[in-house]
Amino acid sequence: MNTTLPALSRIGHANHCKRCLTGLPVSQTDMDAQRLALVFYCIGGLDLLGMIQDIPEVDRRAWKDWIWAQFTNGPSGSGFRPSPFMTGQATTDDLVVDQTTAYDAPHIIMTYTALLSLAILRDDFSQLNRQGVVEFIRRSQNDDGSFSTVPGRNESDLRTLYCAFAISSMLNDWSGIDIAKALRFVSSCRTYEGGYGQSPFCEAQGEVVALSQMSSRINLAIGGTTYIAVASLSLASSAMGGKEILTPEEKEETIHWLVSKQAVTGGFCGRTGKEADACYCFWCGAALKILGAGKFVDRYSMVEFLGRCQFKYGGIAKAPGESADPYHTYLSLAAISMYPPALDEGSVSPKVKQSWTSFSPLDPVLNAREETVDWIRRHVPQPSHR
Amino acid sequence: MSETKPLYSKRPEWSDVVPVEQYEIVNPVAPIFYSEQYKDATNYFRAITKMGEKSPRVLELTESIIRQNPAHYTAWQYRYETLCATNASLADELKLMDEIAIKHLKTYQVWHHRRLLLTTLRKPKPELEFIKKVLHEDTKNYHTWSYRQWLLAHFGADGASINKDGEEEYDLADLWEGELDFVDSMLNQDVRNNSAWHHRFFVVWGCGIREGEQDRERVFKRELIYVKQNISLAPNNPSAWNYLRGILKSTKTPLSSVSTFVLPYTRPRDPTASRDIVDLENPPPSEGADLPSVQAVEFLADILEEKGSESDINQAVELWKSLATELDTIRRKYWEHRIRDAHLKLKASK
Ligand SMILES: [Zn+2]
Repeated sequence: MNTTLPALSRIGHANHCKRCLTGLPVSQTDMDAQRLALVFYCIGGLDLLGMIQDIPEVDRRAWKDWIWAQFTNGPSGSGFRPSPFMTGQATTDDLVVDQTTAYDAPHIIMTYTALLSLAILRDDFSQLNRQGVVEFIRRSQNDDGSFSTVPGRNESDLRTLYCAFAISSMLNDWSGIDIAKALRFVSSCRTYEGGYGQSPFCEAQGEVVALSQMSSRINLAIGGTTYIAVASLSLASSAMGGKEILTPEEKEETIHWLVSKQAVTGGFCGRTGKEADACYCFWCGAALKILGAGKFVDRYSMVEFLGRCQFKYGGIAKAPGESADPYHTYLSLAAISMYPPALDEGSVSPKVKQSWTSFSPLDPVLNAREETVDWIRRHVPQPSHR
Repeated sequence: MSETKPLYSKRPEWSDVVPVEQYEIVNPVAPIFYSEQYKDATNYFRAITKMGEKSPRVLELTESIIRQNPAHYTAWQYRYETLCATNASLADELKLMDEIAIKHLKTYQVWHHRRLLLTTLRKPKPELEFIKKVLHEDTKNYHTWSYRQWLLAHFGADGASINKDGEEEYDLADLWEGELDFVDSMLNQDVRNNSAWHHRFFVVWGCGIREGEQDRERVFKRELIYVKQNISLAPNNPSAWNYLRGILKSTKTPLSSVSTFVLPYTRPRDPTASRDIVDLENPPPSEGADLPSVQAVEFLADILEEKGSESDINQAVELWKSLATELDTIRRKYWEHRIRDAHLKLKASK
């Protein structure tokens, strides 16, 4: 076995996450309308590294407070907005902080990432207006079964559908969704390659290109279209008492599509014939895990690739030589959590081995540590739904 | 642009608006250190949305914000609403968007806004030219390809060219006419461009049957020859092999129908093979191709598995073994699974 595997720089990656939580430079202005997702990747990264407990209680408190400050009850239901980017300060003629205008509405992807972040911080969810969230999801569903990011905007794709499913699963309340209609939308996104595209007719891909993606900036996405489809089907299947949705042939075909995305470099690529990128190690790896095909991943080559994606000042980049961002850092750590390599002590030092294997198990469907998912199951649903 | 212009707070024509600062709690998480210009513009934007003003100056304001942060989806939304409310020229807007789109190709909102404009403008044909130009900059851009597919699906369906008054607004056949040549030119540039292969599948198989394409037998043959020719030029191109599988599957044609074609790609080059006889149906691997091709070996194993006799399966197992141990070792466990699976099926059938 190769002995060149470097240590996973756990402290460096944790520092990268902490740095971003402290503040973002002007070059990250395009995170303004998706800041909560970035916050989730940072908090989630610290959690996967087992370092969230080392954060002083006062900071964790502040993070929770900020996330809750994004919770809003508006005309279209309740949920979390990406940041206060549209929230106005009280002006002299307002008595209280200006409450939601229609343009300061909750966002479905941000609501999903906020619930996960709060669960990581072991919030008790006593402030959660559950009925409001269900209402928000109901109003977000479109006639074709898909979901809008913000009700009334016809901007929709598979990502938003997954978030609606994940939130309903967390609440253990599916009354906001017409599941049959939604599943028809999912199957219309299936392609001849056996993967899934963002919307009907689109090319299959492992990752949704970001909400905004600029080469030199952070690329943020809740994505992996094929992952998103597979995870959504798994959530729906659980909601329907374990009913199988894909035929065995479709399942085999999707497994084949996913498996063939592992490149000789060890990393996964998101589309046929593209370069490997760290985030697809999660998107493809997690989809395989959900389909019961995790054993086909070549773990050692995958972590070797991720080892090369480490940025010298902390954090993990999409590819070797690129600069790091919280999105690729979190997703790489999540991939390692699912696929810790079996390292032979004869070829790597105990320190290196430990750096790659000290992870606790990850739930691939909700994309959180199993312990966090357990917390969600016990605290997010209405007491009568637990 | 906005950098050279004075701040909104310094402009007399905005003096009637009281800017609304962003509300942020005492200890914000991941605060962004905004530029003075961005802070200024968004202060006025928050004020405007609160007042509900929709006027020409709002178009100038939202443009400034979009240029600074193209992912500001509320600025996009409000801009579109303002365009509608002020009866602004959407054709002018589209022209402005040509420039902004090229700067921010990877931003979802840019393309979403374009869809909204086109839905009203209903002039799809010039868009195809625009997309072609944009794909020149980034040949695999997911948003751009998706937009082209949306355009064709939305405006290219039967009856889509007829407006509310029953008039034909554009020529439907004309919209589709150049599509195959377009894909062909993209694939000539880069035969491994999976987005282009996917688009071809969409055009030929994905969206109904158009004039001139009714003879499906002929279309199938044409596509078969097309993809085989492309495989012969680049035998290790998974996109082309996937297309071949895709068309066989969608026409319910057995994989074994192409065994004669596949076979030479599964073996090391045969130096004695004559290249003089040109068999259009079964073009041989090009000179200098790297053989055997992993995709071909995989394909042949699938053909054998589909046939399903004991000796077929045994041959397939040999091929999978060669993939697992030598040709495609990164997927060793997957190929071993295929071997186990086939053995189980064989046992069950006995
Ligand atoms: Zn990536």
